[in-house]
Amino acid sequence: MAEELQKKLQLEVENFQALQKQYQKTLSVRQQLGGQLFESETVKSELDLVKKDQEVYKLIGPVLIKQDLEEALQNVNKRMDYIKGELKRIDDTITDMEKKQDTQRDLLNKLQQQYQKAQLSAGGKN
Amino acid sequence: MSIASKPGAGGENMMEIDITKLNLQQLSQLKQRLEQELQMYQSSLQSLKVAQTRYQNSKESIEKITPDCKGKEILVPLTGSIYVPGKIADAGSVIIDIGTGYYVQKDLDSAKDYMKRRVGFVTEQMEKIQAMGQEKSMIKDAVMEVMEGKIQQEIGLQKAALARAAAAGKT
Repeated sequence: MAEELQKKLQLEVENFQALQKQYQKTLSVRQQLGGQLFESETVKSELDLVKKDQEVYKLIGPVLIKQDLEEALQNVNKRMDYIKGELKRIDDTITDMEKKQDTQRDLLNKLQQQYQKAQLSAGGKN
Repeated sequence: MSIASKPGAGGENMMEIDITKLNLQQLSQLKQRLEQELQMYQSSLQSLKVAQTRYQNSKESIEKITPDCKGKEILVPLTGSIYVPGKIADAGSVIIDIGTGYYVQKDLDSAKDYMKRRVGFVTEQMEKIQAMGQEKSMIKDAVMEVMEGKIQQEIGLQKAALARAAAAGKT
């Protein structure tokens, strides 16, 4: 009985650790996205300051391509919208994962208690 | 194998927890987290410092360009180790990387202005992080103080229990 419980407990602990690892990964993706959004915002504010007679270039591979200011602004806005969408999606995943971790933690606590009880009763018999 | 639950959901409500009510284990977890955060601040500060010097260097380079630089010879780096001679065709403007692959041609004054703005922004961020770091390290000190107190208390309790046991043994 106790051995069975121990195996199950170990399995669930591994599950929990896997969840935590995934959670950390998602968090770092979120951070990266946040950074990209911030960078795009600064680029946008900088493009807003560009005067008509100033040229805008876009780096594509190793070359700079001359680009229309309007087009550049549009592209940056599109990129920001995309990143915002991704951020929202990932935030949802994060709350979801937090919930999953909480349930797993509860399960583990329960199992641990069961295991301790089983050990105690086994010890009592000896 | 103990399952650790994090005290407090985020850094913001950290202050709302009465640290004297936490037990030793929770306190040491809190301390560990604070140390991690402090380390993160340190590395952020370092990268900001690097960015700051880069902008500063760019600004100084722009200041070296004057209109009579036009037509002068210059060595253009093709890679980090190969240079070819060239002539300055336009001494009136520079092209600046503004991020995410976009570059803007600016005249010298607005380029200088840009660098100044960036340096100012980075410095501002650094000050913010420094203030946050100071706050965190103050919290950390408080946590450590409470921990010390709890440890002393525990030792005192143990001693008292030992003394009681000894007294009970004598009678």
